[in-house]
Amino acid sequence: MTHYLKVEVLRMLRNKRYVIFVVAFPLGFYLLYSNLWGAQTDETTGIKGSVLLMVNMAAYGALASSVMSTAVPWAQERHSGWLRQLQITPLPAWAILATKLVASLLLVLPALVLVGLAAVLTQHVSLPAGQWAGLLAFMWIGTIPFVALGLAIGSMLRPDTAQPVAMISMFGLALLGGLWFPTSLMPEAMRNVARVLPSYDYAGIGWRIVAGQAPYGPDVAGIVAWAVALGAVAVFVYRRAVVRA
Amino acid sequence: MNAISFTDVTKRYGDVLAVDGLDLEVPAGSTVALLGPNGAGKSTSINMLLGLLRPSAGEIRVFGEPPETAVAHGEIGAMLQEGELIPELTVAETVDFVRRLYPNPLPREEILRLADLTELAGRRANRLSGGQTQRVRFALAVAGGPRLLLLDEPTAAMDVESRRTFWENMRRYAAQGRTILFATHYLEEADENSDRVVVIARGRVVADGTAAEIKAGVAGQTVSFRLGDQPAAGLESLPGTTGVELQAGRVTLRTTDLDSTVEALYRKTTLDVRDLQVHGADLEDAFLALTKES
Repeated sequence: MTHYLKVEVLRMLRNKRYVIFVVAFPLGFYLLYSNLWGAQTDETTGIKGSVLLMVNMAAYGALASSVMSTAVPWAQERHSGWLRQLQITPLPAWAILATKLVASLLLVLPALVLVGLAAVLTQHVSLPAGQWAGLLAFMWIGTIPFVALGLAIGSMLRPDTAQPVAMISMFGLALLGGLWFPTSLMPEAMRNVARVLPSYDYAGIGWRIVAGQAPYGPDVAGIVAWAVALGAVAVFVYRRAVVRA
Repeated sequence: MNAISFTDVTKRYGDVLAVDGLDLEVPAGSTVALLGPNGAGKSTSINMLLGLLRPSAGEIRVFGEPPETAVAHGEIGAMLQEGELIPELTVAETVDFVRRLYPNPLPREEILRLADLTELAGRRANRLSGGQTQRVRFALAVAGGPRLLLLDEPTAAMDVESRRTFWENMRRYAAQGRTILFATHYLEEADENSDRVVVIARGRVVADGTAAEIKAGVAGQTVSFRLGDQPAAGLESLPGTTGVELQAGRVTLRTTDLDSTVEALYRKTTLDVRDLQVHGADLEDAFLALTKES
């Protein structure tokens, strides 16, 4: 099992597309945006631009990583016969799903840590140790709904459809969650949609933590509800995908 | 002890009967070829042995256990018809990953040697040729040191030279006292690489024995002659005759007893027999006769 985990992490780190979208993108955008707007202060929250951008880009990286490391690779494994190769070994079926979940969570860390480091090193962002710990822990565990979404997409769709669906989900969630621009700039209807999405709750909790406030209750409830709902869907469609006819 | 036993196994896909009351026992340590045309039920049978498909009726045992249990205990290794590898992993990493999933795997170096992969150990899977990928898939099948090895048309994508080496490697594995069942629609492969050939057609066993027995027993030989406009009625009841084919005025009798058939042809019929020819059957004829739509 631990070896399987190591193998899963290793292969994603060798995947160029993963590294570009998930590590290079958020890092590059952070460096660019923080140079442009890092010194500004957000009017509604009073958070400095360099800190807010750190949360947003780390959140984008984590979100992208969660979906990218699950949906398409898993759809491909099902489609290419690799799943069957695993099914005829002593590895139990639940272990495949569990390993994918843990591997995907581990793969979220490079984006989080690198964007954080870039913020500290280039923008001299400093937060109290407790806030750093809380932010990192939350932004890590908070990706569970996105991992579940990716796994569900991978269990349901063929690789060629999983690819665009994963991309649209990822960018859609990032955009509507307010990771690229504030939701306050969105039209009313769009904002109403945004509010119910897990990425909105995810980013919202991050902003509260860096503002030194306790996470907002409905945000926490929202993300937990999404984690449970998407987790249930992921398990359900996974069982259907590996079922013996 | 039987490595494999099928007891009256049936598998239906909707209206299609893929396997129809299959009975088959394979003693441990033997190498058996499952020979049959496409759609005969070979892959379905292998997938049921692996627990990937469940029989609609009947019972399957692998070393006395249900297939799922045998798989969980690492008793079975298999090379299925299709299967890609993880593109980002090297050959050695892939082999090592799979062998570690088994309770009593073979040493990594031995697996690589068995599949002729020692020199390719460091190569990533996305840089392998089709034939090389097949060798890795064979390596994965033997990695866990399974007592039962199942190969579903393993040489389908290989050239002649790769095939030869592949069967050599398989025989080296079989020589360790393992049981091997391989599916093929190539007669020579079945003939050359197995102790026993089980011919299946339309989901049933239609012949079972050594290649020599199947050649001798079932198809026997053929006698053909020019019949012209004479009636063919009654030819099928000649002694030893198992089949009659009529084509362009020429009749071919399939017989298990050539002498009696020919004798009766002259003595017991009033036919004007012209241009008589006798052929010894080969395995190909036997196979065609056995698997022909009846």
